[in-house]
Amino acid sequence: MPRYWHQWALIAAAFAAVILMLVLPLALILQQAFAQGVAPVLEALSSSDMGHAIRLTLVVAAITVPVNLLFGILLAWCVTHYEFRGRKLLTTLIDIPFAMSPVVAGLCYLVVYGSQSLLGQWLSDWNVQLMFALPGMVMVTIFVSCPYVARVLIPLMQSQGQDEEEAAVLMGASGWQVFWYVTLPKIRWALLYGVVLTNARAVGEFGAVSVVSGLIRGETLTLPLLIQMLHEDYNTVGAFTAAGLLAAMALITLLLKTVLEWRQRV
Amino acid sequence: MSIQVENIRKSFGAFTALHDISLDVPTNQLVGLLGPSGSGKTTLLRIIAGLERADSGRVRFNNEDVTHLDARRRRVGFVFQQYALFRHLTVADNIAFGLRLLPRAERPSRGDIRDRVRDLLSLVQLDNLARRYPAQLSGGQKQRVALARALALKPEVLLLDEPFGALDAKVRKDLRRWLRRLHEQISVTSIFVTHDQEEAMEVSDKVVVMSQGRVEQMGSPLQVYEQPASRFVFDFLGHINSLEGLYDGHNWRSGDAFLRLDTHGACPDGALTLYLRPHEADLAAAPTEAAHLPVRVAGRSVFGGTVTVELEPQGWGGEVLEVELDRVRWDALDPERHPALYLLPRRLQTVTCDGDLGPQVAPA
Repeated sequence: MPRYWHQWALIAAAFAAVILMLVLPLALILQQAFAQGVAPVLEALSSSDMGHAIRLTLVVAAITVPVNLLFGILLAWCVTHYEFRGRKLLTTLIDIPFAMSPVVAGLCYLVVYGSQSLLGQWLSDWNVQLMFALPGMVMVTIFVSCPYVARVLIPLMQSQGQDEEEAAVLMGASGWQVFWYVTLPKIRWALLYGVVLTNARAVGEFGAVSVVSGLIRGETLTLPLLIQMLHEDYNTVGAFTAAGLLAAMALITLLLKTVLEWRQRV
Repeated sequence: MSIQVENIRKSFGAFTALHDISLDVPTNQLVGLLGPSGSGKTTLLRIIAGLERADSGRVRFNNEDVTHLDARRRRVGFVFQQYALFRHLTVADNIAFGLRLLPRAERPSRGDIRDRVRDLLSLVQLDNLARRYPAQLSGGQKQRVALARALALKPEVLLLDEPFGALDAKVRKDLRRWLRRLHEQISVTSIFVTHDQEEAMEVSDKVVVMSQGRVEQMGSPLQVYEQPASRFVFDFLGHINSLEGLYDGHNWRSGDAFLRLDTHGACPDGALTLYLRPHEADLAAAPTEAAHLPVRVAGRSVFGGTVTVELEPQGWGGEVLEVELDRVRWDALDPERHPALYLLPRRLQTVTCDGDLGPQVAPA
């Protein structure tokens, strides 16, 4: 317990900051959405653009999360179970998507796979369109959210060591049995935590997706992109309804994350 | 099952962990690999288990070459220093783990597995803890669960890596006696790794003393203690006092002190170091003709029937010496009234100037 007034003051300041900068804006989003009552909100929710954006957002997340789950496990396994040249470099490279601005990532993909590039030309000869379509959006979302699972797993797997795995091998377990019966249960809560973070990022990604989506209404707009579009159209209720929806997803994610962190400690 | 280790070499990068190790462990013996950390004993154990591959050399079980056999097919029981229990499984499930992984043809029925787990739990005296999770157990209990788990598949080879290293002194003592008794009950060939001399001496049929990736000596506990093969072995097995001086063929001298030693010509004239074990000396109020080593009592600690006395050499030598005396003997000396005493070694180990062990001698 704090004992002096300045300790209390510091705590009060922290609370004030959290309320001003986090809680208040969230409350305002909801207040703005419902400013003209419930009916316009329901109407906005039932619009075809909104429905499409919700579905698209969920589809992107539904592809991104399993891909990055697998990628994260494999990467963490490699880095923690094998000694090889370039291991340190690899762990550094994992962080590139974190370090780089998502817009830059989007532009990179555009340059590599867009119709201006050789690869893009070749793909378009085969009638494959990656940019300004779902595949491109999924690709950049995978890119920006790929470090989460690996980043959560690597320190955990390092601290847990390999004794249990070795014990299982000595009791006759095959590689797959070791992973399934020993490694996976050891990391399951951290893994779920990584999934939650990946999902949050995949659902909320704006910059990278905005660059490669081409912002085609009713086709390539995810929820964050739709919010921007509606806002520019002065459709306040629509924009804030979509924003409220995203915020709700974020809150659910936050709740899950808290529960998982708590489970992990047990 | 007997274990033969032949000319094992292993390096990690530029560091050579094992230089040409050969060992022979007869069936049903309990052998202790003893050495300081970095002596390669754990690496050797892991090579025998198949967790590590040797650069060259062979491992045989009952003369059958298992060098290239996968760890999962060697069927050895292994106990890890940090137990390595599966934290998400109960004690019973931990023990049953290996049984449940057996191929269908060999796997016992559910009932048989349950019975086997119950038998093992009673063997390690943990009958009531079947449903606990590892996090709910004490260190000693975890260690016993790890042992029960290692024995579940009825291995003929049991390997233990510093099995009591993480436990406190009292539990350690109880557990190692218990391990000794257990080893007599079940028929299994065991190798255990330890850096604790007392532990190795008490538990093992045979001790293998290792240093810097080499076997220094292999023999019964009594053998390695009484007839150490090298200075390292002598040094490593218990505390020693080192007395530095000059030898002239009849007398060893250092300042005011001297000892009359007959080495039968085994020690050349010149610098001669003498090793003295703390319990192989007495104290007296007067010197003898053969031993004149004046000392002053600098401190003492009483534990049970033994008194450990710290002695400062008077007019010779340098460092403080440590001697263990019987409590009765100590009281009879009455050191409060006679603080000036004389050290009377009963047995000394000579060390020549090039570091080899010479004969063991007594002043006469």
